[in-house]
Amino acid sequence: MDLLEYQVKEWFGKIGIPVLPSQRIDHPTDLKRLKIRFPIVLKSQVHGAERAKAGGVRFAETTIDAIAAAQNIFSLPIWGELPEVVLAESQYDANQEFYLAVVLDTAVCRPVLLGCKEADIDWESAGEKMHHVVVEQEFSPFYARRLALKMGLQGTLMQSVSSVLEKMYHLFVQKDLDLVEINPLAVSANGQVMALNGKVRINERAIKRHPDLAEMAAKIISRHTSTEINGILGDWDGVKMHGKIGILGNGTGSVMATLDLVANAGGNPGVCLNLRHAFLTDTTPTTFRDRLETGLKILEADKGIQVILINFLGSIPQTEEVVKVIARVVQQDNSELESQVVRSNGSKSRQVQNFTPLVIRLAGSEFNAARKYLATLKTHSDALLVVENLDEAVAAAVRLAKPTANKK
Amino acid sequence: MNLTPESKVLIQGFCEFISGTHVAQMQAYGTNLVAGVNPGCGGQELHGLPVFDLVEEVIEQFGVIDTTIICVDPYDVLDAALEAIASHISQIIIITAGVPPLDMVQLLRKAEACETLVIGPNSPGIIVPGKILLGTQPSEFYTPGVVGIVSRSSTLTYEVAYELTKAGLGQSISVSIGSDAIVGSSFLQWLQILDEDETTEAIVLVGQPGGGSEEAAARYIAEAIDKPVIAYIAGRQAPPGKSWRQTGTLATVIGRDPNFGTAQSKLAALKEAEVPVAERPSQIPELLRKEIKIN
Repeated sequence: MDLLEYQVKEWFGKIGIPVLPSQRIDHPTDLKRLKIRFPIVLKSQVHGAERAKAGGVRFAETTIDAIAAAQNIFSLPIWGELPEVVLAESQYDANQEFYLAVVLDTAVCRPVLLGCKEADIDWESAGEKMHHVVVEQEFSPFYARRLALKMGLQGTLMQSVSSVLEKMYHLFVQKDLDLVEINPLAVSANGQVMALNGKVRINERAIKRHPDLAEMAAKIISRHTSTEINGILGDWDGVKMHGKIGILGNGTGSVMATLDLVANAGGNPGVCLNLRHAFLTDTTPTTFRDRLETGLKILEADKGIQVILINFLGSIPQTEEVVKVIARVVQQDNSELESQVVRSNGSKSRQVQNFTPLVIRLAGSEFNAARKYLATLKTHSDALLVVENLDEAVAAAVRLAKPTANKK
Repeated sequence: MNLTPESKVLIQGFCEFISGTHVAQMQAYGTNLVAGVNPGCGGQELHGLPVFDLVEEVIEQFGVIDTTIICVDPYDVLDAALEAIASHISQIIIITAGVPPLDMVQLLRKAEACETLVIGPNSPGIIVPGKILLGTQPSEFYTPGVVGIVSRSSTLTYEVAYELTKAGLGQSISVSIGSDAIVGSSFLQWLQILDEDETTEAIVLVGQPGGGSEEAAARYIAEAIDKPVIAYIAGRQAPPGKSWRQTGTLATVIGRDPNFGTAQSKLAALKEAEVPVAERPSQIPELLRKEIKIN
């Protein structure tokens, strides 16, 4: 989850990273009660990149200019997102601009400090200009000084930049971040530093232990539709593709292997979800059963999906309840189907398929009871297929997703 | 490595990912489970195990514990593991999935300093078929034999074991090192263990996108492993995901290949190391048979 700039700056201010006087504007008329002095800069608070290029950043000298600019920004969508807030900020005369970041590198399993004497660098060629220091052991300010020196800084500027880095690191650890970035860090003619823009990416696995972040995440979820959430909160645990076969599994590897098999067998994988973890949209603790129910709902609601392929191997929590969830889904569809058939005067020749066929791969003795139980269900012939062999399950799903199988 | 039926084993916590069935399965397999630790439940019995509030109480009563299986809430994993290290337990298996990465950074610093072997998080543990089961691996898919399995994915570990068993190929040791972004033990450590293990004649390595561990493993296989290795990489058709994009962004910065972390980069590394790669799990037995002479 990425924070908006004004939220980042509130955090920066609290932890002692220098930021300019600024004010949150919820409506253009708020500018009449502006507490900061002109000239100001108004910035659209959206998640999308290239905000300045799109016209989301404007400078204003007077209240009238500012209100007009704010009205403009409030009605300007950037990558489809309209700002709910505009940030008004004092202007700053920068002599030099730097890039600073603290990021978690999962390959070395350690946080890394990054620094560059240029802001807005071209990431393609960053290798030559970017300096880094791996925080091997417990953090101590010398790591920050080491980076500042690597960047070629000296004297008081070396001290003030490393002090900013130190505070960034503390924020990084305190709030469980994946990334905290200052771009640019401006340096004035007299050597003062100022964070002009910042970025914070929160690790989704830790949101729930920070009440303030959980609240922000809940707000995002209640405000946006699911595809937008996906963009703002990052991936849910799975991948979104646009094919006809939805996949549910009980582990990332399993989900990916199933996806590969479907693609190799000539099928088109759709949304693939791993039920092992909670979804990011879950604000309260969930069980496997809940996640299966949500997963099935997501796939069923997806008009593009014609077949749902479930791959469970080994063991899953709450097997019995999980099987009941599957049974309920299949039977509900089945009863709807029957009632429609009755309404059409029993003429079964009419094509009424009001369900998404399920192909379930269950391997393991834990599923013996489940297989027997599922076999007793009275369903439409295509509604439910239980298979033990993975390659066969994939072949069946690909066959059922062929254009002849209509849906809704 | 202490993987004998005599090793004393502790379970810390009983969360969603471990059930009474798993505990019973381990016991039926001959694993010497001595106790459970569940703060607040001291003095009770859970899944047929005596329960204590602290790890040190278990040590007082049963002496040195060889392995602990941690299955507490993700946010409590760091604390449980530090408690185990403080009680000088040298082998830790973390079943819990979704541990906050910065907690893992802290745990790994401590574990490296104390030379503790940490497996997982998000790992179903280790099985030595016919001998010992440490974790939640479904033992029914395994038969004793000569193929070692090392994997980053839980379910794919069993998938591979299942295919091998169906094809009449037994297994020596199977371990899933865990599929969270940051895990304790590495492919390299396990390749070395399997290379030294007398029962193991061939190794199956199972990978997925993210990080650079498959690439490192490929180089290590070419340099140091004498036994035949077969690989399988899941996620070749998956679009690049967020979980590994982050390391990708860093790639150019610290001099890594822009392809870092992708399935393609892993496949290229394995090809370079001349490691045969299976297209799908069911193809693994066939590739193995070309490398080792069984039946």
